[in-house]
Amino acid sequence: MNYFPWLTIIVVFPIFAGSLIFFLPHRGNKVIRWYTLCICILELLLITYAFGYFFQLDDPLIQLTEDYKWIDFFNFSWRLGIDGISIGPILLTGFITTLATLAARPVTRECRLFHFLMLAMYSGQIGPFSSQDLLLFFIMWELELIPVYLLLSMWGGKKRLYSATKFILYTAGSSAFLLMGILGVCLYGSNEPTLNFETSANQSYPVALEMLFYIGFFIAFAVKLPIIPLHTWLPDTHGEAHYSTCMLLAGILLKMGAYGLVRFNMELLPHAHSIFSPWLIIVGTIQIIYAALTSPGQRNLKKRIAYSSVSHMGFIIIGLSSISDAGLNGAILQIISHGFIGAALFFLAGTSYDRIRLVYLDEMGGMAITIPKIFTTFSILSMASLALPGMSGFIAEFIVFLGILTSQKFLLMTKIFITFVMAIGIILTPIYSLSMLRQMFYGYRLFNAPNSYFVDSGPRELFVSICILLPIIAIGIYPDFVFSLSVDKVEALLSNYFYP
Amino acid sequence: MESTYQYSWIIPFIPLPVPILIGVGLLLFPTATKNLRRMWVFPSVLLLSIVMVFSIYLSIQQINNPSIYLSIWSWTINNDFSLEVGYLVDPLTSIMLILITTVGIMVLIYSDNYMSHDQGYLRFFAYMSFFNTSMVGLVTSSNMIQIYFFWELVGMCSYLLIGFWFTRPTAANACQKAFITNRVGDFGLLLGILGFYWITGSLEFRDLFQIFNDLVSNNQVNFLFVTLCAFLLFSGAIAKSAQFPLHVWLPDAMEGPTPISALIHAATMVAAGIFLVARLLPLFIVIPYIMNIIALIGIITLFFGATLALAQKDIKRGLAYSTMSQLGYMMLALGMGSYRTALFHLITHAYSKALLFLGSGSIIHSMETIVGYSPNKSQNLVLMGGLRKHVPITKTSFLLGTLSLCGIPPLGCFWSKDEILTDSWLYSPIFAIIACSTAGLTAFYMFRIYLLTFEGHLNVQFQTYSGKKNSLVYSISLWGSEGQKKIKTNFRLVPLLTMKNNEKTSFFYKKKYCINRNERSMVAPFITIPNFGTKNTFSYPHESDNTMLFPMLVLGIFTLFIGVIGIPLFTQLNQEGMQLDILSKLLTPSINLLHQKEENLMDWNWYEFLTNATFSVSIASLGILIASFLYKPVYSSLQNLNFLNSFGKRIPNKLQIFGNKILNVIYDWAYNRGYIDFVYATFLIQGIRRLAELIHFFDRRIIDGITNGVGISSFFVGEGIKYVGGGRISSYLLVYVSYVLIFLVIYSFFFVQYF
Repeated sequence: MNYFPWLTIIVVFPIFAGSLIFFLPHRGNKVIRWYTLCICILELLLITYAFGYFFQLDDPLIQLTEDYKWIDFFNFSWRLGIDGISIGPILLTGFITTLATLAARPVTRECRLFHFLMLAMYSGQIGPFSSQDLLLFFIMWELELIPVYLLLSMWGGKKRLYSATKFILYTAGSSAFLLMGILGVCLYGSNEPTLNFETSANQSYPVALEMLFYIGFFIAFAVKLPIIPLHTWLPDTHGEAHYSTCMLLAGILLKMGAYGLVRFNMELLPHAHSIFSPWLIIVGTIQIIYAALTSPGQRNLKKRIAYSSVSHMGFIIIGLSSISDAGLNGAILQIISHGFIGAALFFLAGTSYDRIRLVYLDEMGGMAITIPKIFTTFSILSMASLALPGMSGFIAEFIVFLGILTSQKFLLMTKIFITFVMAIGIILTPIYSLSMLRQMFYGYRLFNAPNSYFVDSGPRELFVSICILLPIIAIGIYPDFVFSLSVDKVEALLSNYFYP
Repeated sequence: MESTYQYSWIIPFIPLPVPILIGVGLLLFPTATKNLRRMWVFPSVLLLSIVMVFSIYLSIQQINNPSIYLSIWSWTINNDFSLEVGYLVDPLTSIMLILITTVGIMVLIYSDNYMSHDQGYLRFFAYMSFFNTSMVGLVTSSNMIQIYFFWELVGMCSYLLIGFWFTRPTAANACQKAFITNRVGDFGLLLGILGFYWITGSLEFRDLFQIFNDLVSNNQVNFLFVTLCAFLLFSGAIAKSAQFPLHVWLPDAMEGPTPISALIHAATMVAAGIFLVARLLPLFIVIPYIMNIIALIGIITLFFGATLALAQKDIKRGLAYSTMSQLGYMMLALGMGSYRTALFHLITHAYSKALLFLGSGSIIHSMETIVGYSPNKSQNLVLMGGLRKHVPITKTSFLLGTLSLCGIPPLGCFWSKDEILTDSWLYSPIFAIIACSTAGLTAFYMFRIYLLTFEGHLNVQFQTYSGKKNSLVYSISLWGSEGQKKIKTNFRLVPLLTMKNNEKTSFFYKKKYCINRNERSMVAPFITIPNFGTKNTFSYPHESDNTMLFPMLVLGIFTLFIGVIGIPLFTQLNQEGMQLDILSKLLTPSINLLHQKEENLMDWNWYEFLTNATFSVSIASLGILIASFLYKPVYSSLQNLNFLNSFGKRIPNKLQIFGNKILNVIYDWAYNRGYIDFVYATFLIQGIRRLAELIHFFDRRIIDGITNGVGISSFFVGEGIKYVGGGRISSYLLVYVSYVLIFLVIYSFFFVQYF
């Protein structure tokens, strides 16, 4: 084993390098942009190097562990480590955040602060995925809220203060439940508090207490994921944020909720999870249909995409609660896949907004002639979003379907019913995403635009969209890229359920 | 030999480089790629020809040595669920491969010329090649997931190609409609696949059939559930092959360029549904009722499509409804269990219909120069007529296709349709009667299209007259030559025919804008436009270029001789001394798989064949006769007119009015597309829209409202507390005193009441 603290460096490096931005000489925004971009790329390379050389795929245990005592008297320590579930989201974070930084180049106002916040987000996002200590998880979870709040409230759209406040109230309010849950888990049982994740995972609780903890954790993650009816912060936030922030929000922040559900609710509290899973499946099914039906009613382009995100999150919930190998793998794949697709869609929506300067879909039209490249990439990604085979969305949703079907927990009739209702979602998805395409690009009406001549996407924007497109297609054609990361860990995790 | 099979996994990948290269090129190096332009046709045709040679070789192998080759690799490695990819080469695959590649090559060559002036020339070829790739992938798939995979890809290509001219709002709507209707079918297909996976635990065809047969023989399945799953699977085929309830997308799909209609919406993609049912026939055949359902859907579609095709005024829509009707024939044949006949009709129909569509494309091309680029005008049968003189080669090949589709003996469709009709007599007399009468209808509407297009005089030239005089004296009504009475019924045509020159040019101009991508002159149509439409009015349509005529000729030859493969006349004796035609020989292993009764195939009875053939040909010629009786233009043959007049005099007045009413009903029926679209639009689309609005309202006002309400109330509470806790003694005193007062009032009130 190596004792080089890879994970600590990975977590701390971006925010540390980011704070150096304020000491850079005043030579315009260009220096800051290039500096940030270099840091991001360096970090991404660091992550891939560390994971490529020091991470064993066939080992379901936690690897690259580090354990430094921090505050002794309640056993709080800086404890990091990754396993098969967290490696995918960390790689996704590195990838999406780098691209989001590249996408944020048009931002000129308060450039220093903006790029510092982006780098702070980088650390704040990798933190929760890699922490193996309950309290450290909580601290990282909270740490990442502050940059998002600032990014929203300073670089957002017209109603940015309203949505930023809504975001912070929702998430901070839900964090209270997370803290309660963590304290409960930590104080239960032995005399001295246990914050180590692994020891807590092996502990068993009385059923009533476990259910109480479960509800606490669930509320925290349900806001983040989001699960209806706690989703209303998401369309507002996504509608107002700058598109680079949207990429982070849709690509990574939502996935933190899903990750938390796997990590805490499934791994820590297996009994409660098997008690609650039928209800979760019902909620997930309703969510798929509900959000897919709300989406066509949205006039705002970004809100429509936001609701499609909500709808896709339903598949994650169902995959998690099917308690089957395929279901959980499908959910993890959906986390990764939607991370790419959601980020790319928000990026493209933002770039087309930069040109047409119209928010409402019914005012747009006929943009395909002037911006054919954006049209092409937007079409491809809408197809990916509606789960076209060959793209990652399809394989994820299909494996979730297989998961619910092969799940041994549920009765035949309920399984048939749930599958049927979920499948209605695949009819509703093209209705909103294709009508979005039609309203934006098809036709020849250009009267509403302030000026009828736009510049097509340049090399930078094309690079970003192609960079996101390639993994989507690669995963869609060969899903083992992601499965190979998570399969063993999933099996180990699910063994808790079958041999209690 | 074995190595041929081993390397046939490469088949779907051969045409793939073209779309990838064009796509990447258009995104990254647009100018360089566009400069190459026509150069891109050669690789796409070349690669597709390689596939064709490959598949012809494969099917020769299949004929000599009937066998099924299957190869599988694992796709995802997992303990619990393993997905596989593979390819399956069997007679069905090789037949479909040859069909796709031959029609595909012809259409590629054709569209090189057809699309040569279009801005999206390269995009078109990228889509086309990608379609070919996915279609070839579809027919070589070895398991259900792969089928679903390519099924959706094919649907996406169809979506992109229907919406190819995305500046047209109608095309934009049509492509969305096509995709969503197909998604409804895919929904069923996916659920069916999952259902059968749950029952059998396998997705691979051979294993699936084997396990399922075992289960059925052991009586271990719930037949209701199985029937439901089979129906769901079949619903995928319903949507893709435009069968009855989900056929609405096919006529609208004619918004796409004509080569697309020939390749995708006539020959290959719509046949994918037939292919799927044929592939899964071993499954369907053991499940009760599902075969009857398939036959029922087939018969409804074939009759429905034929009645709708009767009075279409758009040449491509007429052909689209005809396609739908012919697909109904194939579905009927599959439902009756005659696998070979269905495939035979699939092949013959594909060539004939591709020929017809290419012919109509050539007509549209020549009409466009006269009437402008609006599909409402260049495809309008009302404006055509007398094209026989101007486009003779197109006329010949179109006539060939028409005769073939009508079922006139030496041509392809006669043989296959005759066999379907024969089989239907054995299956059920009612179905047979409907199928036979539809054969008559087919002949009628096909000849109606032919006569309106090619016979008589060019109607565009009368358009100006009628525009000025505002009368319909010289216009040819859709319902034959009884001119005056039609004024009332054809009211929808009046605006079209009396269109002012000005309007026409503006339409023309707009369309030109779309093609030339000249967005700055967008506002121009609202200013006055020079009236340069008039000079076009007196020009004549031209015959298309050789590049367009060549594929039509080749397909014409195919149409003439394709019947050979299924005619028992040209038989070979196989080792057991049975007489088999080429198609039966090719399909023997598949048919044996079905455990069919085989006497149908073996007993070739001259007498029976002749009676059936005479019957069907006489029905077809009756349809042709009626069509020529109604649509043969008045002035083209005087004799006919006299005959018609004498006929008309003899009929009493009441009967004539009654006849007109019937005609009106049929016309309205066809014009409104059997009211199905109307029903869908009112109930489904409006319903979903209402529901979406309702849920949006719920989401916004109630769920979000609660959040905002909490926020606002906490704000007010805070403000109130702030105000109350402002630190002013007087306000504290005021509150104190007022509470004391309230208390006193209440106290005194109670006091008074009780004492």
